[in-house]
Amino acid sequence: AAGSLLKNQEQPFLQTPSLRFPDQVWHVELLPLRRQLYILCAGNGIYCVSLDQQSRLMKQTDGDDKEDACPSSVFPVDADACIVPDVTLCTFTLLNDVLVTLSQAQGQWWMKLHVLLDPDQESQPCRQISQVGFSTCDQTGDDGDALSSHFLPVLCCASAPGTAGPGEGLWCSGGFTLEEPLFSLLFGIDAAMLDSPMILCGFPDGQLCCVPLKALNSSEAVDACSEVAGQVPPVKILHHLEEPVVFIGALRTEHKAPDDPDDQQLFGDSGCDCVVVVGHYGKMVAMKAERGEEAKVPEVREYYLQGPILCAACGGGSRMYYSTHSDISAVDLDWVSNASDPESIDNTAYVLPPVLSPASLSICSVVALSLSSRASEGTLLALSAKGRLMSCDLCSPDDAHPIRLTPEKAGQRIKELLSGIGNVSERVSFLKKAVDQKNRALTSLNQVMNVSAALLSNQDGRKPVTCTVTASWSRLLLRDTWAISCMLENSSECSLEQGWTLCVQLFTSSCAFDEDSVDSATTFTFPIDQLLPGSKREVTLPLGSAEGTKLELPLTVSCALFYSLREILDSASDSYESLDDLLPDGSPGLSPDKEGICLPLSKCTIDILQCLRLDDSTVPGAPPSIATLSDPVETFLKVSRVQSDPSSVEVSDQLLPKAPDALGDEYLPPSVASIKVSSELLKNALKSFCEGCRSLRTLRGSLICLVSRAVWGAAWPRITNVEACGSYVAGLPGCSNIQIPSVRIS
Amino acid sequence: MAQRLHPGGRARSGERSRPRGSKRARREAPAGAGCLRAWTEENDGLAGGWRASRSSGPGRAAQQAARRCRLAFDSLLRKIQGLPAALPSLSLELTVLYNSLLFAVSESDGLVEGEAERINHGLIRVLEACGVSGQDLSTEELWQKVLQDVTTEELCAPLHRLGALQGAVWLAANCLGSVTGLFRLLSDTKGPLPSAHGGENELLALLKAWSVPVEGDTSPLVVQSTKDLKEILWTSAAFLQGLQGLEAGNLPTALSLLQAAASGFCSKRVLAQIYTCIGCCTQQMGKPQTALQHLKRALQVDFQCLSALSQAALVYRQLGETDAELEALALLYKALETPAQEAVSIDPCFLIRTELLVHTPALASLFSRSHPSEVKYLLAQRCLQAGRVGEAVEHYLDLLALLQEGPQHQVPLHGRSALPRIPEVFLEAASALEQLGRYQDAIAVCEEIISRTDDLIPETLRIELDSGAGGEAPGRAGSPSPGIPPQQRESLRCIVWRAAAYLHQGRAWARLGESKEAITRFTRCLNVLLRVQLVSAASIQSSEEMAEALPEAKVLQKIRLLALLGRGSQFQELGRDKEALMNFQHSLQVCPGDPAATSHLLRALWKLNRRQEAAALWQKLHADAAPADGQQEAPGRCVRPYPLYLVSCLKQVNLPHDESLARSLQDYLRTSGQDP
Repeated sequence: AAGSLLKNQEQPFLQTPSLRFPDQVWHVELLPLRRQLYILCAGNGIYCVSLDQQSRLMKQTDGDDKEDACPSSVFPVDADACIVPDVTLCTFTLLNDVLVTLSQAQGQWWMKLHVLLDPDQESQPCRQISQVGFSTCDQTGDDGDALSSHFLPVLCCASAPGTAGPGEGLWCSGGFTLEEPLFSLLFGIDAAMLDSPMILCGFPDGQLCCVPLKALNSSEAVDACSEVAGQVPPVKILHHLEEPVVFIGALRTEHKAPDDPDDQQLFGDSGCDCVVVVGHYGKMVAMKAERGEEAKVPEVREYYLQGPILCAACGGGSRMYYSTHSDISAVDLDWVSNASDPESIDNTAYVLPPVLSPASLSICSVVALSLSSRASEGTLLALSAKGRLMSCDLCSPDDAHPIRLTPEKAGQRIKELLSGIGNVSERVSFLKKAVDQKNRALTSLNQVMNVSAALLSNQDGRKPVTCTVTASWSRLLLRDTWAISCMLENSSECSLEQGWTLCVQLFTSSCAFDEDSVDSATTFTFPIDQLLPGSKREVTLPLGSAEGTKLELPLTVSCALFYSLREILDSASDSYESLDDLLPDGSPGLSPDKEGICLPLSKCTIDILQCLRLDDSTVPGAPPSIATLSDPVETFLKVSRVQSDPSSVEVSDQLLPKAPDALGDEYLPPSVASIKVSSELLKNALKSFCEGCRSLRTLRGSLICLVSRAVWGAAWPRITNVEACGSYVAGLPGCSNIQIPSVRIS
Repeated sequence: MAQRLHPGGRARSGERSRPRGSKRARREAPAGAGCLRAWTEENDGLAGGWRASRSSGPGRAAQQAARRCRLAFDSLLRKIQGLPAALPSLSLELTVLYNSLLFAVSESDGLVEGEAERINHGLIRVLEACGVSGQDLSTEELWQKVLQDVTTEELCAPLHRLGALQGAVWLAANCLGSVTGLFRLLSDTKGPLPSAHGGENELLALLKAWSVPVEGDTSPLVVQSTKDLKEILWTSAAFLQGLQGLEAGNLPTALSLLQAAASGFCSKRVLAQIYTCIGCCTQQMGKPQTALQHLKRALQVDFQCLSALSQAALVYRQLGETDAELEALALLYKALETPAQEAVSIDPCFLIRTELLVHTPALASLFSRSHPSEVKYLLAQRCLQAGRVGEAVEHYLDLLALLQEGPQHQVPLHGRSALPRIPEVFLEAASALEQLGRYQDAIAVCEEIISRTDDLIPETLRIELDSGAGGEAPGRAGSPSPGIPPQQRESLRCIVWRAAAYLHQGRAWARLGESKEAITRFTRCLNVLLRVQLVSAASIQSSEEMAEALPEAKVLQKIRLLALLGRGSQFQELGRDKEALMNFQHSLQVCPGDPAATSHLLRALWKLNRRQEAAALWQKLHADAAPADGQQEAPGRCVRPYPLYLVSCLKQVNLPHDESLARSLQDYLRTSGQDP
């Protein structure tokens, strides 16, 4: 899934180029001071894109190609734009010129602090200042790994009020300012006195940690792997949610006196008085300063919302919006405003509401939420899973209550609505079924096309779907059987779905290459249920047994893939005529009766050499000295040697291949061997031995030479005579009659 | 017994001096020569290319070249290991493995899990080729089996080379036992060790005794010679063991090992580190002058070795040479202001370096780069302690500015930092300012603490002191004593800081002559302190026991005493002697027998003409003061010193010995016939 990013916010109808990233985009932040966009791309790192550069890019395209009607042109992002290349990066946040990243490596989370440098003066785009490790993922073990593959940690920045003037305040998207008692209570007096913003961090295992931005260091210097006893990093664990944290935000639950205009003005600056953290499965934690007499601690209250929660957003007010798959809901944490007696506000301690009542907004499948304005309840921006950006105007909780209905009217209205819903749902289910069917047919057709295109377009090179034929002896039902096994291997990118059939045709030797005698061939078909990319399937055809029928060799095996079009068209529509419209005449690969698609895979010849059986595993009482030799060539050589020695007839009897009976009288045991030579060896050998030689004879000579030297020359110094005997090797292109030597030991 | 491989002594005839041209001719095209030759050529080409390129020096280009080489060697190794193991190609295979691992270890900065796995695989293939099964054996057992069972001469040199690399991997993982075992196998252990005389470290002796396989012309090229590797192993082993000895407190052994390491083969940076460690060691052995010499040497070798500077400051402090100590600290601060030089990750000449092999927590903590704010604090603190108030004030103000700076200047807040809690830094700064006479500034700094703690302290803080906590030895600051929840403890600290801030404000106003303001501050200070209710269990009786259970309690008490005395004095200034007297009486209740409180009370009583009481007190004071001395606590006890911000207050609260008062008291006693 390649991520692409469309910047289209200020002028919706302006043609803007979009950027394509090498992988999923996980996080985007805007740095308005520098007019830059920071994008975290999964498995790549953080890219920095200048908005000015974007518009330049756009102008260029406008100039070059005025005919281009496409509303958005897609450009791949420049690799140089990657300012923090780090494959382990999970999330980041920005504060003016400081970049805080969180990555996962060596079983630990690492928070790193980078400073963005001025590109005009420095060679690097940023410099790492310090880092701190969180050992949270160790505790979760395997579960943690499983979780972290789905969920990303959440970072955000909380600053104390007055750390900067209102004009040039700390810019930090997703960050918030916390009111004073809460900030000190949550983060401690040291952070407050340092005027240090706090980085809040919610991990997939549910831990909520905080660390002062100015003290982002552990006492260890370089070697972070070994634990130093007594190390106390300034990391504080605020809470443990026990489910993946999806959102950290802050709310203003207490209203300022409305009659004070100055206060209203400063509403944004005075900050929030309540921190909320939301977990994926619906647990929500609110933290607020308690007005108690006893030891000052923040009040922490847990709520349970209906999960799974995908995302959430907070504004400057007391409401938090969160999205599940099916709906966006709003919860209000303003407890005091609901109190009946406004006079008692001062007496009641400002606490959090005991329960929350979510109000539905009836917008489904929203994966990202944002409140356009922090200061007041303004517009809620929602991005749906399919990429639609919606904006919802929110009414303030104070005004605009829905008009009250009388009970009778309400009953009538509900009835109408219910019947309407019934009608609609009926129709929807019907249409959905039809669409699903068509979709399925289209998907399978698409897959078939992909496979066909891959196979047909790739005539000379290695085919993406291959079928390897091997012949071997196996023991079936207590009988030794000679069988052909076809290994179908799918190395293409698409999977072979149901409907595909593997056809194996066997031609006997006499008519192997004769077109007319096709009918005499035997065809075996094997339906393929599903063959995923990269997987293999093996089918075996028993051809004859040791005592059974005579085989005619050589045998030509031809494999093909067949796909029946009837099947999908059956499922997709009732009419058969569409088939002709669908596939015009002369389409390659279409079988004459247009019933399906046939794709030839491979053709090979099995000959007598492959019937030779050299296995000593069936010999129960073989002498250990020979039985330990597992190399067939050596076994073969051993056998040859013993055979020439009449005194050890017994041993040779036991070791003799047992095939000859089934193979016919002309077969002479064991004077022939097939030798497999590693392609690597062959390539090298041919390079050195056979430079310049073109003729077949020389090739044969060199093969003999090569094989004897490469295989036996060193390992078997006692071989004195290498002699060519009548044997047969098939499968070399262009020459069917290369003789390979057998070895006779004197 | 199987014959062991021993590479020494053989094939010395084929030294490296032979011209390279003869290389091609010598290969007698053995079996499968095509592949073998091609692979050998590839290996030699890569290694030769690397050797040629390393003259360009360290840098980004070298790093990239190393990465390319690693990938190329890896792919060559994959090609070779794709075929079943065969004796003729094993020598090449092991060499390629060695080359590839050199790059991998160098790149991975000494994190060597995957590398160990690959050595294992290589050994198993060696055994396979010899027809021995090597499955399910540990790496140590594999080495034993390989070195005992494999007798092929050609494999000897590559196996020894790989053994050296294995030693490096084990050293990096601090597995000294495994390394020793391996080198016992690699060296000819039948004969006695050449230098195994009493006390010499076995591993070092083994390493010295181990004869490096000869890299003749016939062998494939390697990227780092085994001879270099041996030297580096030796230095690393000495350094590592020295560090371990230092950690374990085994100082003489550590010293000799470290001195050995310093004579070894290493980079300047490591040499400076070794000298610094020697400095630490000799300092702990009670030889500060020797320590200083070594630390100076470390700095001469590598000025970037800032730990030597901070160690030197420590030594000077021990010696009481404040000037030198402050100078060292100032130098350290100056050096820290320049950004740290990036450590060279790849040195093209030495892929394996001592830096990569020596990892211990002690080393990491000793050579962790201190933060500028830490050093600045130390400077300020030492100046204040030494009474150099002017300098101290400047340093404190610099420090406060540094703390307010952006996130680029990180502040160490972790437990091992030299920096105390931030409010204490502010209080010390206020104390320094006050001593210098900058009263308004002191008041402003204290105001910051007061405003910050405003919301953090509860109306009442009730702390129940456990009797179990009484047995606990007073730990260092920050270690929570059992029984008191951390939240309460933090609240208590906030109260202490806030009270101390009010105390300083009161004193500053008093100095400014604003008695009324001062009295207000002292009263606020006392009110803050009243919020704490210490409920002690029956077992805790005396204030000493209380102080042991909760160190803050003692500070609290002292602040209360100082505030009462301060308020009393201000009342005296205003001529409200009765109120002053009440305060002094109260202060004596808080700290019974406190000499300062007593003398204040004495004077107040005398002034109010309550001579009889004054005389009684005088006698009591003299009786008590005979054994004890001033504000010094009872000697012999391990007493936690008061916080630095209270020290000056405690000094100044003692009234100067009033000769006239003493004389008149003695006169009075004589006339009333109660001469002591």
